[in-house]
Amino acid sequence: MKTIRFSPERVSIIARNTLLEAVRQKLFSFLVLISLGMILSSTFFRDFNFGSGELKFITDFGFGAITFFGSILAIVATAQLFFSEIENRTALTILAKPVFRSEFIFGKFFGVFLVLLFFCAIMAVSLAGVLYWREGELTREIPDAFADGRLVAYGDIFIFVFLQWLKFGILAAITMVIASFSNTNLYSVVMSFFILIICHLQYLARDAWEALGVLPVKLAVGLLGLIFPNFQLFNLGDQIALGERLPGELALRVALYGLVYILVFNAVAIYSFRKREI
Amino acid sequence: MATSPSSKPPAIRIEGLTKDFALTLRGLKLRAVDNLDLTVKENQVFGLLGPNGSGKSTTIKVILGLLEPTFGSCEIFGIPSNNVRSRMDVGYLPEAPYFYRYLNGEELVRFYGRICQVPKDRLEDRVAEVLEWVGLKDAARRRVGTYSKGMLQRVGLAQALVHDPRLILLDEPTAGVDPVGSAEISELILKLKDAGKTILLCSHLLAQVEGICDEIAILNRGRLVLEGDLKSLVSERHRNAVMVENLPAGLEKELGAWLEAKGARLVGIETPRTTLDRIFLEHIGYRKEQGSSRQVDENIARSDAGKPEAS
Repeated sequence: MKTIRFSPERVSIIARNTLLEAVRQKLFSFLVLISLGMILSSTFFRDFNFGSGELKFITDFGFGAITFFGSILAIVATAQLFFSEIENRTALTILAKPVFRSEFIFGKFFGVFLVLLFFCAIMAVSLAGVLYWREGELTREIPDAFADGRLVAYGDIFIFVFLQWLKFGILAAITMVIASFSNTNLYSVVMSFFILIICHLQYLARDAWEALGVLPVKLAVGLLGLIFPNFQLFNLGDQIALGERLPGELALRVALYGLVYILVFNAVAIYSFRKREI
Repeated sequence: MATSPSSKPPAIRIEGLTKDFALTLRGLKLRAVDNLDLTVKENQVFGLLGPNGSGKSTTIKVILGLLEPTFGSCEIFGIPSNNVRSRMDVGYLPEAPYFYRYLNGEELVRFYGRICQVPKDRLEDRVAEVLEWVGLKDAARRRVGTYSKGMLQRVGLAQALVHDPRLILLDEPTAGVDPVGSAEISELILKLKDAGKTILLCSHLLAQVEGICDEIAILNRGRLVLEGDLKSLVSERHRNAVMVENLPAGLEKELGAWLEAKGARLVGIETPRTTLDRIFLEHIGYRKEQGSSRQVDENIARSDAGKPEAS
């Protein structure tokens, strides 16, 4: 008798198709272009850098563009790519084949995760390129300031962007959880942005409530802190921008934190999607 | 529902299937399918008929494991339909199919073939084979976004057949297809039956159903109202038709009196009628024995191209 098991190959087929679909959508191109535009144009804003060093300003500006547009891409692309399958009923033909629902969810997630990887890679290379070019110019203009060699830690920029990619992965997985039970694309997008804000600000609430010292409140806040990942942990850009080196152990811990949340949210999405009526 | 080791399970066995959809949070429900029992034997063309909203598509979705029954059970070749394994032997063409517009026909069928884990060394041949079957060989490299409605149905059929399933579910396979395409799909269904496949067909084109189905079931408001062998259902057993050539005028009365003397009754005399479908197909040059009119036209075009020009 024929048997069927979870197949990474089927997951990769669905993921590649999702990637292809995403790349063909205008949103991806638009966000890549606008982010690239922001990074490339950052050198023109150096007169408005509020007293910061120029290279630090370009780094901050680039990190800001990546974080902002990457978050939008993670939420909107996930919801759009998921609901396009449901609304166009292509999910019907896929799930009518010998495909596990977990394979479908993983396939969609990894497709979006690949899209985000391309986005992050393009942004990181562009930002590093702009910084390298500008640093070279400044070295020629004011050689004394660069007597000890180049100031920008390019490796750290790539580590930072890698961590942002993981953060976007968490965000995409959260959006997948919401999309797995919601009926509309809009609801998924709005709810995901709402959760994005919670994840960014949850540390403030935790600090405030923990200061009260009431045990039940502390427990409740602790639980919420577990459910909603703390996105502030991924904000290591300030350290890089200030010229400090990123501690490798810290980066590794944050990466593991991100991976655990990605796995957990994907598992929740699969659980929620397994009985969904298509 | 135990089966003896020697007896093969039917292609589809549905027992006491009931499916409710929640309409409101207060618990108001719509019963789409109500206590349905249905058995589709292997290697037959089975027509599932009924007006819109009668529960046909819901039944198909339950068979495909896309919906969980509220009550009852459904098995495909003896495997519960909510088990992914049951779908290894099922091909499905949805009603008004929509596919990835940016893929071409060949890529799309290959995509579904890979999803179904058709062996890599067989995949390319299989893709070419099914595209030829459905008459899309020449449009295989065209983007699906440029396909007509009829071509979408054909590529939908191709993706349903790519993994060589034993059971094929066709939900309105001829919706939006012209009479030629419709006749070709009917022919293909009969060929699939000859190849040992079981076909469950949902269609509103009752003439088509009558031409190709072995058995039918009619659903109305989620309930099975009629089921059985099509020939038995449509034939009027107490009546006979006699075809006569060149019946002289005025002989009707004599014939009627003779039949009455024999204890029979002449109900009426009428001229046999053909169907509009047949007239249409004849007039556009469709020849069943030579394949489709499109293929005939292509053959003509090819043979013309090969001829030397008259000087």
